[in-house]
Amino acid sequence: MLKTLIGRELLDNLMTFRFAAAVFITLLLVVANTVVLLKDYEQRLTAYTTAVQESHEELREEKTYSGYGGALIVHRPPNPLSIFNLGLDKQVGNKIEVYHAFVPTIWDAEKHGADNPFLNLFTSIDIVLVFQGVLSLLALIFAYDALAGERERGTLRLVLTHPIQRGYILFAKYISAMLCLLVPLLISLLLSIILLTTSTKVALNTDDFLRIGGIVLTSLLYVSLFYLIGLCISAITRRTSTALMLCMFVWGVLVLVYPNLILTAVEITPKPDAKISVYNQIKQTWEEFEREKKQFIRNDAVLSRPSRGGEDMDAGFGLEGVEYTFWKDEDKPSILLYFHQTGLYAGKIKAESEPQVPHVQNYYNFYNRETVNIVERTWLVRKPALEAIYVQPANLGRMLLRFSPVGLYDAATEAWAGTDLKGIQDFFSTVQRHRRAVVDYFYDKKIFESRQWFAADKGTVDWDTLPQFSFQRSDTGINAKRALPDMLLLLTMNVILFMVILLIFIKSEV
Amino acid sequence: MWHIAKRELYDNLNSLRFALATVLLLGLMLTNAAVYLHEQPKRTQKYNAAVTESVNDLTVRADSLYTLAREGPGLLYKKPSSLRFCAEGGEPFLPNVVGGAFLWSISGGLKGFWRLNYPSTTPNLTDIRPNVTKVDWAFIIGYVLSLIAILFTFDAISGERELGTLRLMLANPMPRYTILIGKFLGALISIGIPLTLAVLMNLLLISTSSAVQLGPDAWERLGIIFFIAILYTGLFLALGLLVSTCVSRSAVSLVILLLIWVTFVVFVPSTLASIAGGFSSPMSTDELWQRRGELYAKRWERYDAYFAERVERSKEIQFKGEHVIAEAEEQERVNEEHLAQQIDQVKFARRTTQISPIAIAQHLIESFAGTGFERHLQFLENTRTHARQFRKFIADTDSGDPESSHIIGIRQGMSEKPVSPAAVPKFEDTLNLNQDFNAAMMDLLLLVLLFVVLLSGAYLAFVRVEV
Repeated sequence: MLKTLIGRELLDNLMTFRFAAAVFITLLLVVANTVVLLKDYEQRLTAYTTAVQESHEELREEKTYSGYGGALIVHRPPNPLSIFNLGLDKQVGNKIEVYHAFVPTIWDAEKHGADNPFLNLFTSIDIVLVFQGVLSLLALIFAYDALAGERERGTLRLVLTHPIQRGYILFAKYISAMLCLLVPLLISLLLSIILLTTSTKVALNTDDFLRIGGIVLTSLLYVSLFYLIGLCISAITRRTSTALMLCMFVWGVLVLVYPNLILTAVEITPKPDAKISVYNQIKQTWEEFEREKKQFIRNDAVLSRPSRGGEDMDAGFGLEGVEYTFWKDEDKPSILLYFHQTGLYAGKIKAESEPQVPHVQNYYNFYNRETVNIVERTWLVRKPALEAIYVQPANLGRMLLRFSPVGLYDAATEAWAGTDLKGIQDFFSTVQRHRRAVVDYFYDKKIFESRQWFAADKGTVDWDTLPQFSFQRSDTGINAKRALPDMLLLLTMNVILFMVILLIFIKSEV
Repeated sequence: MWHIAKRELYDNLNSLRFALATVLLLGLMLTNAAVYLHEQPKRTQKYNAAVTESVNDLTVRADSLYTLAREGPGLLYKKPSSLRFCAEGGEPFLPNVVGGAFLWSISGGLKGFWRLNYPSTTPNLTDIRPNVTKVDWAFIIGYVLSLIAILFTFDAISGERELGTLRLMLANPMPRYTILIGKFLGALISIGIPLTLAVLMNLLLISTSSAVQLGPDAWERLGIIFFIAILYTGLFLALGLLVSTCVSRSAVSLVILLLIWVTFVVFVPSTLASIAGGFSSPMSTDELWQRRGELYAKRWERYDAYFAERVERSKEIQFKGEHVIAEAEEQERVNEEHLAQQIDQVKFARRTTQISPIAIAQHLIESFAGTGFERHLQFLENTRTHARQFRKFIADTDSGDPESSHIIGIRQGMSEKPVSPAAVPKFEDTLNLNQDFNAAMMDLLLLVLLFVVLLSGAYLAFVRVEV
């Protein structure tokens, strides 16, 4: 019986104009956008490979270990699944310096391969966005007359004269419409995947296909939710035209208006006072350290001899053979970044300065180790402050978006694709671990206190044994775990709506 | 005709869609005003603080004409538009400042002179908040109003045909176009009412607040924007009538209209822009640095070649001055070229998107609201004018000093007398309504043309339609 019902509904739906239009428009938009996104991804990938190569060479040009500051740079590869949901992949920086004097975060990152910044004026459209707009609309168009239409035409009365449970009728309608909606979804996804595989630059592995499967599943839940919203409206209205009108307004509000309105209305920026106090605290710690440094030099009889430049090391401690001294500073109150580092470069230290060298080595041992400690200490303050300034408002914004199915869908697919905030943060925690590994390597090999730290004349620097940076996107399991809450919410909404419709339909008179 | 329009109007006023449209528009417009009132004072304050700081810097430099000329007039800030609530115009993605640069030393131990320098990074790299469109007038008009227009007309003809009332109406002795125009006007007025109401509430809220002042110029601009909104609504009403006439069932008519709407309003602008942007590849930042480096090296060679022989002292200063100025000019020219290529790319992309009416409407609203890309170009032009004025001022002041040997570019050749900071030309980031109007004329005509084409299409279809 159910089969006959489904068959009837399916035929009804498949032969309609709206179905043809649905397939056509989804295909058109998805294919057009895939081409655009694919090209964009390839460009970003090329920029990434060039940047990695350049950084690699740049580091090898350094003759002393201290020269690694500003030369040891790691890059974030573009995510191939950003074609499905762009998320933050393009929005945040993808080039970050690894240095012992600060902990790298999202906010310290810059962009490699600087493309035209004005192009940011145009919003980018990913495949999920196409589904988000078009499939929801189609689901509503399929649903608005499912019940109201049959009631108007009188066929509902006819169907109900048969000894069938009303729930079956509803279920048959639901299944057949979902099957119809699945067609454009799957065909267009298939086409875009075919397009992706034709590109030599996109390498999708098994995990990626699993993730795409997750995206499809989420899309299904999303489309189903909109179909049920339409069905609900159709069940409570008497006339199809009213149902249609209501459906369109609901679509407009949920998809178009709400997400933009809520984030315009709710200001999600932190209080500036807290920011300033934390920044001052960090700055103070560094200034204190500066004084300690001077004290250290003063205590060392050899280094502090006035003829050798005294407390300030601008004269390079009077070492004969110093080519230049440098300082490496960052002072960005907006991201609570502050540090001050000084160093020197000696090409060839002359023999008369040799006795002084151990003292300088000793000084750098103290200076670098203490710098690392200071960084650890300030990080304890900086981390929660950055969370409060940037992460919390962003999460609040995403939370508010979740009141619309659009927000849930976006968040879940972002999590699957790994372009959500957590996915991006994975990269930066890898970079933080890498920094730690580099520092540990410097400790192990006694590089901080070595002569090669500042002088290029004895012994060579070995960049090849330095810990290599590699970044793997998180496991599919983790993606699934991150996407699950939102998917469950979507599922719950689906179930609740279905029950509501069932109740309304059973109680309603024909 | 008026009779039909009136009938339509009454029909619409009592309908669900009218009520929903009114609520939607009012809600959006009021939120827009409230958010604007909250944000605008902060924006102005930030701008004023930045400008004051820039002026303070200038005062410090003004203790010697040479220092002032070398270190330049300081940062030049873009003045925030008071009509930001009409169009956000992607302002967060655009730099709000043009800086200058001066090098501490260039070849030969000389100090570099000031040149214009444009920021080339995205300003909001630290922003990890979800990306959304701000609810401004451009959004409300572009997206919401067009959707409402479609919902008001999709069944205008086909619905009546389904009900059978169309046949009845056509039995009356009146020309068909009156019916069509009547329906059009009826729909336009019934959308115009909630729109006007919402706009008035919005402006009432904004104009009564003491935090922001709108000048007479702003009101003229608002008038033009309102006219654009009406024209744009009319365009979509005409489209609705056209499709509604051609299609026998209203459900099909709505499906077609919605798909057209989704394609043209939501997807075409961004997708086409991305495609069109891909056609050209402007100079990258790396290339820019490389070009700069090459020019710099060449300059240095020329310098060394000149001083390979013995040179008279008077000529030496003359040459050094020219050297410094030429270096700055060359570098500025490369900066300009880099910027021009980037701008051309965006301009082409924007041109291409103009096959979609929403892109035209949004560009128009942006340019009249004084935000967005066109405004940014004007700002850049203003900074260039200012740079010229500034250099002229330096030359004039220098020639007024009898002790100076009038060789700009080097300390020995220039006046070192203090300058009164008030005498230095102030950077004025002005907007001109006439200029905006002329620039937007093409877009406006395009919009009118589209409207006329669609309306006559609807007329032709309706005249031939069989009932």
